[in-house]
Amino acid sequence: MIPVCRLVDLPRGEAFRLETVPPVAVFHTDDGELFAIDDTCTHQDAALSDGWLEGCAIECPLHASKFDLRTGLADGLPARLPVRTHQVLVEHGMVYVLLCDTPPLPRGTVAYPVKASE
Amino acid sequence: MTANSLPESLIPTLPGEHYTGQEIFAAEQRLIFESMWFCAVRRSDLDGPGAYRTVTVGRESVLLVRGHDDAVRAFLNVCRHRGARLCAEESGEVRRAFRCPYHAWTYGLDGTLLAAPNLTRMPDVDRTTYGLAGVAVREWLGYVWVCLAREPPSFEEQVIGEVVARLGDAGAVEPYGVAELVVGRRISYDVRANWKLIVENFMECYHCATIHPELTEVLPEFAEGYAAQYFVGHGAEFGADIKGFTVDGSEGVARIPTVTAEQDRRYFAITIKPQVFVNLVPDHVIWHRMYPLAPDRTLVECDWLYLPEVVAAGTDLSRSVELFDRVNRQDFAACERCQPGMSSRLYANGGVLVPSEHHIGAFHAFVLDRLAPASRGVSPGTPGGG
Repeated sequence: MIPVCRLVDLPRGEAFRLETVPPVAVFHTDDGELFAIDDTCTHQDAALSDGWLEGCAIECPLHASKFDLRTGLADGLPARLPVRTHQVLVEHGMVYVLLCDTPPLPRGTVAYPVKASE
Repeated sequence: MTANSLPESLIPTLPGEHYTGQEIFAAEQRLIFESMWFCAVRRSDLDGPGAYRTVTVGRESVLLVRGHDDAVRAFLNVCRHRGARLCAEESGEVRRAFRCPYHAWTYGLDGTLLAAPNLTRMPDVDRTTYGLAGVAVREWLGYVWVCLAREPPSFEEQVIGEVVARLGDAGAVEPYGVAELVVGRRISYDVRANWKLIVENFMECYHCATIHPELTEVLPEFAEGYAAQYFVGHGAEFGADIKGFTVDGSEGVARIPTVTAEQDRRYFAITIKPQVFVNLVPDHVIWHRMYPLAPDRTLVECDWLYLPEVVAAGTDLSRSVELFDRVNRQDFAACERCQPGMSSRLYANGGVLVPSEHHIGAFHAFVLDRLAPASRGVSPGTPGGG
């Protein structure tokens, strides 16, 4: 479990970037929910925590790809591959992240999934 | 050219090269338009967060945008990374940020570098230092003025000082409530003439009886050749049978209620050097901005400003607008008629100004004074150098 920050230091609408490898971002939505995902867009190297949070979607600041914070799925091109999602816990006013078991995409992965038909 | 060879009635203009030379124009861009306050856009052109306009100021393209905090900011329209022009459009609206179309460096409405590919792997790249380069901004009379100088001159002296010089005191413009008026009509003119020909034309009325039949009908004293700008604090009076400042002298629209009795039925004109002309009449204000683009090309954007309720009611403004639209077209045709003559050998040493135009000499002195730092490179009054 990785400590992130105090909950009071992460207001609604804001994000906190953890300099892990790969980096992880924790988002506090306007509705008061907390989500953690890999911070790097799967289309090009950009910090999603620099992007724009709307509801449960984060828009990449570079090319406007959108990811669903609940599932990690890309909702809008140009990104196609999902980001990993992680568990967030709050204990005694402190935010923690529990990283998922799925290995991260190796750096340099081409962001175009091969379809079964191809 | 020696001034003392001229008869007393005449004083010289600038030499022809000043209206045609690329080097002199470049010096004017640097020492005038990029050094002084420059009237860029009407504030209402930026009508919400993310609304932007790009304008040419000297050699630079300047990007003006309204922020989420309602403040208007101005930046050089150049990506900090590899120099791509950030916004190619003249106007538009972005939601939250400007993204360079080349490598996607992305800037907030306050100019901060928000994101760039691999930026998080370059923690030593400061997001303010490598944000957009801001330029000084002032708002006055509903217009956004910018200054590209590292140390902008006093706005009060340069801009408001012109109003004082012409009207006698800065308070004389207040009754027109220019900031609260709204744009009823805007017309852009692409004029194939040097910007100084347009200024000189605006300053004198020696030509009025010849090319402005409608205007001299409304302002009979203009037929005598003395422009309002020849005097201090003088407004040209409407003719006795003239009801309003319209193309046919018919009734204008609702009068600006705060205009004083002394200002009623009169026309005042101000040149705010280097690129603004203002005309004040009781029911509207006509505001010209020049964007000099080349030695022989100047874009003029002209706004007709009225009371908000006049515009909101859909009032017919056509006769009101048509008067000065005609004047503009007549003037700009005259300027375009002069432009080719500026490179004639006859004009190598310039032309002459008659007494009712002598006040234009002060404008020439202003230009030469501004260009003085460049005089080693381009010597005013020495034609044929470039």
